[in-house]
Amino acid sequence: MSGLAEQWSEALASAPQGPAPGWLLQLRERAAAQFRSTGLPHRKVEAWKYTPIAALEGFRLAPARPASDPETQVPAPLCERSAVVDIRDGRLIEAPANLPHGVTVLPLSEGLDRFEERLRPLFEGVELGGATRAFAALNTALAEQGLVVHVGGGVAGGEAARLLLRWSFSAGAAAVMSHFRLFFLLDDGARLDLVEQFMSSWAGTGNIAGGLNVLCQAELGAGATLSHVRVQAESEQAVLLTSTTLEQARGSRYVYRGFDLGAGLARHELTTRLSGPGADADIAGAWVLDGRRHVDNHVCVEHLAPECSSEQFFRGVLGGRSRGVFNGRALIQAGADGSSVRQSNANLLLSPLAEMDTKPELEIYADEVEASHGATVGQLDETAVFYLRSRGLSDRAARRMLTMAFCRAVTDRVEGRGLAGRIAELVDAAMPTGEDV
Amino acid sequence: MLEIKNLHATVGGKSILKGLNLTVAAGEVHAIMGPNGSGKSTLASVIAGREGYEVTEGEVLYKGRNLLELEPEERACEGIFLAFQYPVEIPGVNNTYFLRAALNAQRKYRGEPELDSMQFLKLVREKLEILHISDDLMHRAVNEGFSGGEKKRNEIFQMAVLEPSLAILDETDSGLDIDALKLVAEGVNRQRGPERSMIVVTHYQRLLDYIVPDRVHVLSGGRIVASGGAELALKLEEQGYTWLEQGGIRPIAGASAASADRGATASS
Repeated sequence: MSGLAEQWSEALASAPQGPAPGWLLQLRERAAAQFRSTGLPHRKVEAWKYTPIAALEGFRLAPARPASDPETQVPAPLCERSAVVDIRDGRLIEAPANLPHGVTVLPLSEGLDRFEERLRPLFEGVELGGATRAFAALNTALAEQGLVVHVGGGVAGGEAARLLLRWSFSAGAAAVMSHFRLFFLLDDGARLDLVEQFMSSWAGTGNIAGGLNVLCQAELGAGATLSHVRVQAESEQAVLLTSTTLEQARGSRYVYRGFDLGAGLARHELTTRLSGPGADADIAGAWVLDGRRHVDNHVCVEHLAPECSSEQFFRGVLGGRSRGVFNGRALIQAGADGSSVRQSNANLLLSPLAEMDTKPELEIYADEVEASHGATVGQLDETAVFYLRSRGLSDRAARRMLTMAFCRAVTDRVEGRGLAGRIAELVDAAMPTGEDV
Repeated sequence: MLEIKNLHATVGGKSILKGLNLTVAAGEVHAIMGPNGSGKSTLASVIAGREGYEVTEGEVLYKGRNLLELEPEERACEGIFLAFQYPVEIPGVNNTYFLRAALNAQRKYRGEPELDSMQFLKLVREKLEILHISDDLMHRAVNEGFSGGEKKRNEIFQMAVLEPSLAILDETDSGLDIDALKLVAEGVNRQRGPERSMIVVTHYQRLLDYIVPDRVHVLSGGRIVASGGAELALKLEEQGYTWLEQGGIRPIAGASAASADRGATASS
């Protein structure tokens, strides 16, 4: 076991336990024991083969700090949302008031009181075994902080509830790995429009160190819709390990638009299970990386019922010495006939030292499936660069215009012109400069 | 306007232009004709500054300045425009946005104020009207999904907006049916003027029925082997390029012949 895993195992043993139901305390014990026996993932663990966790060296494992610096400037909201939840240094600042009708947002402890019978199977359903699941085990063992969002079946013709989760690290935050738990419970027919932003460094507070290990689970009832926009533009010293797992019932719809524009190390595991007929997962994302950033997206869609459709559409731009990893998996189980699956990942390498590891995986056990997949890693089309230059644009401007156009395939898929425009600006600002190779 | 002296150029180590001489005065339209592989498109690419074309000997003077030391974008800003034989499709870049960025880059280079979107739109409307082009093209991504004719018209439209002093039309007639050809030629003719020179590169004579050149040059084996007035094109059409390859170049009415080792210099 590595030195870091040993350090963390010791820290686990002495972590204070807050009040919780008996089954949860037992589960935490089990998760802690699991971590102590398997330790952290390493190169030989397939799911972590291309993502070394060296960036975690020096991070302490500690509960979220009790008091955040009130002086810390809160990053500007990415968009107007009726309800904003601030989570700083892995700690919930406050649950919002003035929630739309039918929406409940509670801190984890209160959420457990109110929704225990729905949350317990979710807690217990998280796979903890093996080094692959080390961060899930850590989260289960340690996360006292969390948020439970419940959305009731909407009023007919009503608008989706709109919620913004604003994650940030305070200036001078220590290299501490915090653990946070998220639950989204959408009843039949419920609609939630969720935006997450991780943008501490854009508040002008400089390079902030901070670590987050977030475990998110969502249940989409029949005909429910979850729209999920996630913009990650953290500082080069930040480490974000996030996992989102969804269970989709009949006719439900999940729309994901994710943008990784920052962080030193960011890994997002996104898994959705289409367990009811006619469920749809429309998953698109982009990463634009420079310097020594490392971003890993592990996406998995499981088709368990007939007539479901899913798309994974990702684009990446990598400059400097950055590294990207994409693992897109689609699994069509026996009986999931009439499934439609699309998968695509295209990448542009703008620097000879940048690296992209992409792996589309398609496993089909059903009949009558419509499937396509493809992955590419390439450079800008020099003929197109010359075309733009021959009209008067500088080499740099031409390359930027082409690279932005490449990303527009994803930014254009963000709903709402204001939000899409803002994200396009952030993508533009994140473009590799070509100067620090 | 343009003076090319003893130009030698290679592509991928292969010698293509072998001592080409050409002088184009302001306001003149010159046609460059020649069989496949004679170096017509190489000449267009060398003038525009495309990468991969190496000039090994000779010089190209544009407005008295050494053109070869300028980057492609500097050449564009100095007033050179290449209408591509195969205009490039650029998904995700809106035609209007692209053209405004290009025009403003050129204006900035020349120390002129940039146009805001309202001023630019006004200019675009004027030019569209002159060329009888629907503004539908402006709302689409650059050349994406355009028909062959639309692509060529978009090139001519870009030329109208950028107002170059020297335009090179590289096989602008290729892939066009007769109606599209007429429209494109009309667009080009409307842009002829005392301050604008053009070099029309073409394989076929038919384009020259609509864009009548002041001079016609025949390029063969990397050199200009015959020059003359518009009627030279007709002669070629009649006799074909084999007439040249058989070494049968004879002085013909209105044309100056090439001597064996020097190539022709078109007077202007």
